[in-house]
Amino acid sequence: MIEPFAVPFMGRALAEIALLALICGPISVFVFVRGLSFVSDALTHTVFPGVVIGFVAGGLDGVFTGALVAGVLTAVLLTVLTRSARLSDDAATAVVLTAMFSIGVVLVSRRSSYTSDLTSFLFGRLLTVTPRQLAETAVLAGVILVVLLISVRALLFRAFDPAAAAAAGFRAGWLDLLLNVMLALVVVAAVRAVGTILVVALLIVPAAAARMVTDRLAVMAVAGAGLVFAAGYGGLLLSWTASLRYGVALTSASAVVLLLVLSYLVLLPVRLLRDRRRGVVPVPAERTSPHELVG
Amino acid sequence: MEAAALRYTNVSVGYQGTPVVTGVDLELSAGQRLALVGPNGAGKSTLIKSILGLAQILAGTAVVLGNPPARARGLTGYVPQTDTLDADFPVSVRQVVMMGRYRQLGWWRPVRAADRQAVERALDRVGLADRARHRFGTLSGGQRQRVLLARAIAAQPRLLLLDEPFNGVDAVSQEAIVRVLRELSAAGTALVLSTHDLAVARDLADLVCLVNGRQWAVGPPAETLTAGPLRRTYGSSAIDVADGRMVLVEP
Repeated sequence: MIEPFAVPFMGRALAEIALLALICGPISVFVFVRGLSFVSDALTHTVFPGVVIGFVAGGLDGVFTGALVAGVLTAVLLTVLTRSARLSDDAATAVVLTAMFSIGVVLVSRRSSYTSDLTSFLFGRLLTVTPRQLAETAVLAGVILVVLLISVRALLFRAFDPAAAAAAGFRAGWLDLLLNVMLALVVVAAVRAVGTILVVALLIVPAAAARMVTDRLAVMAVAGAGLVFAAGYGGLLLSWTASLRYGVALTSASAVVLLLVLSYLVLLPVRLLRDRRRGVVPVPAERTSPHELVG
Repeated sequence: MEAAALRYTNVSVGYQGTPVVTGVDLELSAGQRLALVGPNGAGKSTLIKSILGLAQILAGTAVVLGNPPARARGLTGYVPQTDTLDADFPVSVRQVVMMGRYRQLGWWRPVRAADRQAVERALDRVGLADRARHRFGTLSGGQRQRVLLARAIAAQPRLLLLDEPFNGVDAVSQEAIVRVLRELSAAGTALVLSTHDLAVARDLADLVCLVNGRQWAVGPPAETLTAGPLRRTYGSSAIDVADGRMVLVEP
């Protein structure tokens, strides 16, 4: 049997996953502590029309630009809508999410290759990652990591205690915008490889799973990144073996996400056991963050 | 001459143009302890937020340590109510206290030995040095409140603002907090704390400000925590008991 990752397209897929793991570990920690799961979900959906418009206008290379524009626009729009307090956070997010997603579906349904286009946008093409795409992901990953490193202190203070952070002169509005834009950039980096539907798993699961085994934020970020990479490696190997040995067509991105979610389920009892051993009484989940965990 | 810690002249404070508390006249010098007393929803928190520059000054003049409120942030410390914080947040006690240094450190300047020392000293002062590595949420309510006090002390503020510091706090922690507050004011830090506990105000404060939508009285506890002013502030929820003492009941 051929060593799977020696095959160029498999090697590139693994490299893409490794880059995504580097950013998804840390960013998912912020999604977790700010309770931004629903916002992440909205971002992944609103990037969709950008992806479609980019594809129609510039082919596969246009997808990146389209996603970037749509992602950043959504991040700004969501920040403004939720801060102006005209709408509740959830309502504002849901309105933006559904409106943008339906625009994407309308656009893609105009095309003759409707079904296959839709499938690849929704579920990604991990195995057709090009060297150019890898380079773009690497640049985005670099930018995101540097920005997070610079702003980690302010973002965490704002997440933990918004009032005290504001009293210390940290501007919540700008910090929210910064985090939303960073989230959008992660979605843009990941969307071609794993698709608009599955990318949300990369934003939520790593930190949530790592939280089961640690109370420390830095460990959560590193363990989350490790989990994404492990799931990527295992998922790619799984889909390779399934199609070569058994003739089963298993989308590689789906296999990766499936393993990631499985890791969460496996770690869940670990947390429960730890809590019981320490005699921790479950605290009623009264989150102070304005963003609740929804779907 | 040193500027007063706090000088409010006929101030109205509120949000988005709508006043919450009006007619506030206060003057507090270094080392003095002011208690804001009033029922729930009276605007005590808004008044504290206004001192931090986080609520609007709609009328009058507000001067904090010689500056407009927002400009004085580098010199003020703030202790929020502990139950406004997520007890499940994965952060250690030491990390929480270190947040007190973030204003000086800014976004990215590395933590120095002086910052670590300030954190350890602050934890030691509130008697929780042995809990530094514990997760914040695993502490009791009173201990969490002491951690938040330590965080404010770590910034060495000249004016310290505390929002209901004794809410849900056990006797041991309350005693620890009161002791630290007395030490701080003896060393020249001015204190403003909100409370609806008249006994605490009487015991701790040099000055009491009675608020409920507006300022109803200000002065030493002996003059303000008496039947007349309390009944004006609290309305029907103030009840006389023997020897001029008042009891407050929720209407």
